[in-house]
Amino acid sequence: MEAALLITLRGASLRRSHRLICQVSVFGLHVTVPTGQTIFGRDGPVWMNFRVQQHFIIHKMAAREPSRYLTRAIPRAFAPSPRHQAFIGRRNVSDEAPTRRLSDELETASSLTSRVSENTAKSFDPVSRASARKSQLPRSRYQFRSPKYDRGPLHPHQPPAPSDPSSRLFVPGPFSLPRTEQTYNATVASDIMTLCYVHTPPGFKPPPKAPRLREWDDSSPYHKNRPLRGPRGGDVLRLLRKPIRFNNIPKIERITVHSYVKQAAQENSSWIHVAGIAIQAISNVRVETFKSKSSVATWSIAPGRDTVAVKAELRGETMHHFLGKLIDVVLPRMKDWQGIKGSSGDSSGNITFGLEPEHVALFPEIEVNYDMYPPKMIPGCHITLHTTAKADKDARLLLSAMGVPFHGKIVQ
Amino acid sequence: MSSGSNGARRITSLLRPSNLDSGVCRSCQGTLGRRNYASAATATAAEATTDASAFATTTSTPPFPYTINAGVVLSRPPQVTRDLEPFEKAYYFYQKRLNERLALPFTKYFYFKRGTPADEDWKKKIQERRTPARDIGKYNAYASDSWNDELLLGSKEAEPDHQVEMLVQDAESTANATSQDTSKKEEIPRPHSRVTEADKKGDHKSLNRMLSRTLYLLVQSKEGYWKFPSTPVETEETLRQAAERTLSQTAGVNMNTWMVGFHPAGHHVYTNRKPHVDKTSGVENLGEKTFFLKSRIMAGQADLSAKEDLKDFKWLSKEEIQSHVLPQYYSYIKNMLADR
Repeated sequence: MEAALLITLRGASLRRSHRLICQVSVFGLHVTVPTGQTIFGRDGPVWMNFRVQQHFIIHKMAAREPSRYLTRAIPRAFAPSPRHQAFIGRRNVSDEAPTRRLSDELETASSLTSRVSENTAKSFDPVSRASARKSQLPRSRYQFRSPKYDRGPLHPHQPPAPSDPSSRLFVPGPFSLPRTEQTYNATVASDIMTLCYVHTPPGFKPPPKAPRLREWDDSSPYHKNRPLRGPRGGDVLRLLRKPIRFNNIPKIERITVHSYVKQAAQENSSWIHVAGIAIQAISNVRVETFKSKSSVATWSIAPGRDTVAVKAELRGETMHHFLGKLIDVVLPRMKDWQGIKGSSGDSSGNITFGLEPEHVALFPEIEVNYDMYPPKMIPGCHITLHTTAKADKDARLLLSAMGVPFHGKIVQ
Repeated sequence: MSSGSNGARRITSLLRPSNLDSGVCRSCQGTLGRRNYASAATATAAEATTDASAFATTTSTPPFPYTINAGVVLSRPPQVTRDLEPFEKAYYFYQKRLNERLALPFTKYFYFKRGTPADEDWKKKIQERRTPARDIGKYNAYASDSWNDELLLGSKEAEPDHQVEMLVQDAESTANATSQDTSKKEEIPRPHSRVTEADKKGDHKSLNRMLSRTLYLLVQSKEGYWKFPSTPVETEETLRQAAERTLSQTAGVNMNTWMVGFHPAGHHVYTNRKPHVDKTSGVENLGEKTFFLKSRIMAGQADLSAKEDLKDFKWLSKEEIQSHVLPQYYSYIKNMLADR
């Protein structure tokens, strides 16, 4: 021990397996230190720079432990550590939180568990009570009506939040906890984190990388104030792939179902209506329609003239249900389909594949009333699985873990 | 590039003094020592002074005082979705009824052709339950008392079991009403029970227990301690190879498993009270360090008959593991076990 420490312990001890927390006061500077850690300032242990005046108080939580470990543990707590350690004021998950319990923060009494006498429960009939009322209250007394127009933040009549059922923007849901979401959370996410772990030993410094955007070499006076040059070998600046850790495990962000119906321009608009209904049926989302942007002379499509495409964008619960149907119902029943091509992907973690019209008809929503769709008008579609992965490799790892098959040469 | 220059580079790399740290393991030292051309040019000047002393320390390293073990965390992922909390059930049910109130009316003519048996069946059912949805009970979203959308105490409608039963009954009655053959009753199979035989019997050795939880293989040593299967890593063996060997040696080869990656997901350190000193060589052994690799079981079952020093095995969930293993062991392993 480098400096004299006045230590006060209140019926406490330290045990190897527990990282207890002591409050250390150094010149009135209060910090929380797990034992077994040395307190380091910028130039060495703190007590070499300061004279420790105050005392150590071991928290009351430590008082539960028997004190025979104390004599062993105390010197260890103050032994200089071979590894450089930062000034630690954090708590780990593995630490036991000192006094906070769930019941401190949550209300324990729940309306779901409270006891009501059986007679009260049986006699409670809201409909008959309402009809027995002699005079009805005016609507304005019990029903809040959200203002129709936004009159600015200073107006006294403000609309409620969109999550409020009385809001005009309220959309109900979610209605269930999807299977694919649960599988991802319980199984896939942790496996991906283990698979993608890259070990860097202590003291490892990654080799310096060239800058992503290149400087101009100033060989010409016109280089002044020019924006930086793009990467060598192409204009595309690829996404930066960071090491995958607990907080950036790739997950499925959204799914886009898109259908381009050329007959909508060649023949009549019924094709686009049927396509919209079919895509809406399989995706559970209102579709957007699009006019053609480019001219295709052979299909007699002119830009901006005809509505030729529909698109549905799925997120959240709807997306997970769609993915589940795709993986468990549709893809296994597709004849002579080996899987998504290994070369598919936009090299930033989004994978696209196409479904033929006969494959779209395999969706259970279309199968139940297949006869009601005009014959041969069910469209094919392109499905894009957008993931938060920064590279196609990671996106394929995620999707194949979720059960989407891939085939052919895998292009990274 | 010609092989000659490659060979020359290899020789110079051997001659180059090492800048390695003796505290870093052998496989990682390769990573630390590796440099690319850009960093090599900048670093040479700075390294020249420090290299000589570092090289001297790495030549004779004392044997590592701990036994290194490879452990396997063999797990069976959840097979079914989890049970919903009472709050979740109530919430989802309420949202479904709200949706009935806010959504556009059901387009009946798109789904049922007029005059067909299916249409007749539909008319009968909508009279009964007042709503096209089959899992929200009897509720009319467009009537004047549609405000009465909350469930009363003790009602069954929000229970998933009840909803599944309603769906199956609906499908059965539709199949019976629309089939040509009236003599035969259509039977639609119910989903299997979420509680299995093994759950009822309390059979900890079965893989069919606790379908909604992740199960982990634990083995019991001769002394009665429960732990994950582990054995010491042999020389010239990677951690992954050691883990695979551990699995086949302890739990038998009658399993179809998949090792998740090459890196350990957790570790456990056990320090002996007094260091064990080997009589012949005088080498001190302070304890053992176990590194756990994750693995998934696809099919098969564990079989301990080949291993004499193990008494028993069990497939346990996270909470059960806590009551089986020592608290110190659990504090090391708990963070690598899945919550569900």
